[in-house]
Amino acid sequence: MFSKISLIACGVLFFVSSLRAQDCALRIDGQVLDGTTQLPLAYVSVYMQERGLGVYTDLEGNFTLTDVCAEEYHLLFSHIGCESEEISLEISRDTFLTVRLSHSAISLERVIIQESDASSISQASGTVKRQAIEDGAHKSIADLLEDESGVSLLKTGSNLSKPMVHGLYGNRLIMLNHGVPQAGQQWGNDHSPEIDPLTTDKITILKGATSLEYAPGGMGSVVMVEPQSLGTEPHLHGRAHLAYEGNGRGTTANVRLQKASPLLAWSLTGTWKRYGDRRTPDYFLRNTGTREFNLAGQLKRQWNDKSFTDLYISNYSTQIGVLRGSHIGSTNDLKEAIQRDVPFFTEEKFSSAIDAPRQEVNHQLIKVSHRQYFSDERRIEVLLSTQRNERDEYDVRRGGRTDRPTLRLEQWTLQGDLKYIYESHDWNYRLGTQNSLTLNKNLDNTGVLPLIPDYNSWKSGAYVTGVRQLGHASESGHRAKLDMGVRYDYEYQSVAFISRGSPPEVIRYVNQYHNFSSLAGINFTPISKHDLALHIGYAMRNPAVNELYSNGLHQGVSGIEEGDPELTPEASVKATLEYDWTPSNAFSLSVLAYYQSFTNYIYLQPQEEARLTIRGAFPVFTFKQTDASLKGLDLSMKASLGRALVTTVRYSYVHGRDRSQDIPLVYVPPADLYHRITYRSPRSVRILGRQWEQLELQAHQRYVARQSRLLESQDFLAPPDAYYLLGASFSATTIFPHTKVRVYSEVNNLLDTSYRNYLNRQRYFADDLGRSIVLGLHVYF
Amino acid sequence: MRTLPYYLLLMLVGSIIVLSCDPDSPEPPNEEELITTLIYTLSPDDGGDDVEFVFRDLDGDGGVSPIVTTAPLQASTTYSGTITLSNETESPVEDITEEIREEDEEHQFFFASSLDDVTVAYGDADSDSNPIGLVTTLTTGDAGMGTLRITLKHEPEKSATGVSTGDITNAGGETDIEVTFNLDVQ
Repeated sequence: MFSKISLIACGVLFFVSSLRAQDCALRIDGQVLDGTTQLPLAYVSVYMQERGLGVYTDLEGNFTLTDVCAEEYHLLFSHIGCESEEISLEISRDTFLTVRLSHSAISLERVIIQESDASSISQASGTVKRQAIEDGAHKSIADLLEDESGVSLLKTGSNLSKPMVHGLYGNRLIMLNHGVPQAGQQWGNDHSPEIDPLTTDKITILKGATSLEYAPGGMGSVVMVEPQSLGTEPHLHGRAHLAYEGNGRGTTANVRLQKASPLLAWSLTGTWKRYGDRRTPDYFLRNTGTREFNLAGQLKRQWNDKSFTDLYISNYSTQIGVLRGSHIGSTNDLKEAIQRDVPFFTEEKFSSAIDAPRQEVNHQLIKVSHRQYFSDERRIEVLLSTQRNERDEYDVRRGGRTDRPTLRLEQWTLQGDLKYIYESHDWNYRLGTQNSLTLNKNLDNTGVLPLIPDYNSWKSGAYVTGVRQLGHASESGHRAKLDMGVRYDYEYQSVAFISRGSPPEVIRYVNQYHNFSSLAGINFTPISKHDLALHIGYAMRNPAVNELYSNGLHQGVSGIEEGDPELTPEASVKATLEYDWTPSNAFSLSVLAYYQSFTNYIYLQPQEEARLTIRGAFPVFTFKQTDASLKGLDLSMKASLGRALVTTVRYSYVHGRDRSQDIPLVYVPPADLYHRITYRSPRSVRILGRQWEQLELQAHQRYVARQSRLLESQDFLAPPDAYYLLGASFSATTIFPHTKVRVYSEVNNLLDTSYRNYLNRQRYFADDLGRSIVLGLHVYF
Repeated sequence: MRTLPYYLLLMLVGSIIVLSCDPDSPEPPNEEELITTLIYTLSPDDGGDDVEFVFRDLDGDGGVSPIVTTAPLQASTTYSGTITLSNETESPVEDITEEIREEDEEHQFFFASSLDDVTVAYGDADSDSNPIGLVTTLTTGDAGMGTLRITLKHEPEKSATGVSTGDITNAGGETDIEVTFNLDVQ
């Protein structure tokens, strides 16, 4: 069990056997095999970093390095479709290596096996891997997920975005950051998740029926930002990424250092980002810059072969400008803004200043987790975490008050998880409990009535989940797998609400909720190479504090939002059916259909009567409950066209309906088709006197349909037209004796198309971004 | 297994904290920027009683509906108009007019009448010689019924086309006040 743990995803398995000793005339022979099929892998580049020398494996997967000294060497194995992997070896004799690369260029990842979470996921999922995260160093965490099927983004301008999976976002979508449910003001449609994607190597999107193990309140899907794999490399290594984006004149710099010894491994990551005003094809978007500074440290300690402790500390801080022309004071202002082609306050010149309106957010996380094995099959895991989130929002104000925030919220969240895990070949189960305390407070000195009240809440939950393998193990795996689980949650919420009136009064509310959720599912292979998975989940979500008590004018949407203290928990039943067909290594197809039915679905309903204020009449939106449904289809297809070309197609479709009133749901993503074709040079190429490996050229296109299912009365402005975007990218790697350098470049919206996106709340005011060129440099040392 | 007692202890402490203490009583904030009251006072130039147009919303957005009062105007008469703004939730009552005057370059009132022959001319200017609108001249024509809308813009672009003559179309900025009074010219 423990020897197996040292292996990395897409990774390297190697065995060393020694022959005879001799100095500087030693040989390294080896064979590279496909980790899945055990067949030899040809044309794998084997690069000896210290000597600046590389060879390729032959058709039998064999390679030989001669004149090797009795020293320590780093060998880099790279192959099409696999992230290159490095191993370090101390050579004292002639050595024979057997290397297994998991050659996963073609197979879509459906079942994810991770170091500590083996076989816990059998529901549909997608992943964003290290290379994509590094090449997207300039992007936010949500933007990185955009190309996955079933994922869309709810945006406010270009620098605030929230992920949406299967049409659900905010409070209904759980985001796990290094195993900890992300706390903070996640209810806000213009509040981005406070996570730096460069602190992780992998983001997994679990498009499930329910998520019993992770946190209460999720209505199916989970976005998991997974801990970095620190590897076993005993020397200090690191990576530095520098990216420049033309649109916004943005610079992103990131450095990561890491080192491992058999018992202790650590990493340190820092990110610095600075953007100025971004640009549509025709004009600058004034006050849309970003500043970001993040630091994170990870420490893994292995006490003995049965005890492992992880520590993770991160600090995220950002300042985000909001389009000046989107700051409005009345419904007439909104009407005027909608009628203009170019927003008010647009300037001729680029500016990197960030003025009001803007957001300043700080988020800190400290996490300690411990794994204790009792045997190969049984272990317990404890996780303790603390998060602090401070959010300050600034508006344009009168009387020199612009420097004082209009919203200042501080939230502390303490959480403790305990789970017992049993895992054997044909059967595993988990028993766990989660407890958390949230303290949410409005800081004073805003001079504005708070949008959401102060509250304390306590949550306790317990769950049991099990997976049973049925049938006999054969070469293609088990015949069927059964999943099941139940969860119970209790929540105690104490709220101190300030009423509107003269004089304002403090009204106290105490809420208690009991929730149940459950999951049943089966994965099976009726015919070889055809996999089916069916999951059905039941989940409940308590009304969030903003849905219960929010009270006041939302400048951004020009409406008065009113909570309803009488709301009850909403419940959903979601069924997912996934079909995967992998007829060969060169083709795979995955189809995921889902249907989710809600009772007491909480939503904002426009009221008939407008409310008169000193700034004119405003529409009133009240939180109401209804029965609703979401159904949709995610499709992914990947095909190899010869040895060097790979094409990927992804399609997502969601349909949302308010069943009680028989009208559409708002904020449902329109149909989205994404296509990408990638050319990967099978051999290295000589450019500028250097040898370049992993040369890759890519073109991608996206078509987003018009959201035609919406009534005129449901929005201030009809949804925008369909749009088509084209982009391209290039990357290549060259290797120096102790350093690997990767250059990367991409261009988005190549045709400089003017468009507006239905899920971008700034579409009332301005176009979306114009052409943008990104240049990136990655150095691995 | 050693960590289990600590875990249980932490959970116990947490439970005690939350069950024994509800959030502290929050101090209701002072809504400093609130404008509760607009009074447009019109004095006939040829003598006679002042006329007041009043918009008063003592509890701000929401709560109880605002109270709007107007009085009839004389036909074919010139009035000197002054606007006063205040926050009556404060004690003593806060004079917002003063705040507007201090930031006169960032503020401008706009007047829109549905009666063609009721016109409003600016009677004041900021340091850039652009109008503010705290002091105005209102002229009535024939008798008739209609409405007068008064808008206060924060950070309008005063140099944009038509803005200095009172046309709101290109002003931009955000609306701090937008109230509509019934006009009855007799």
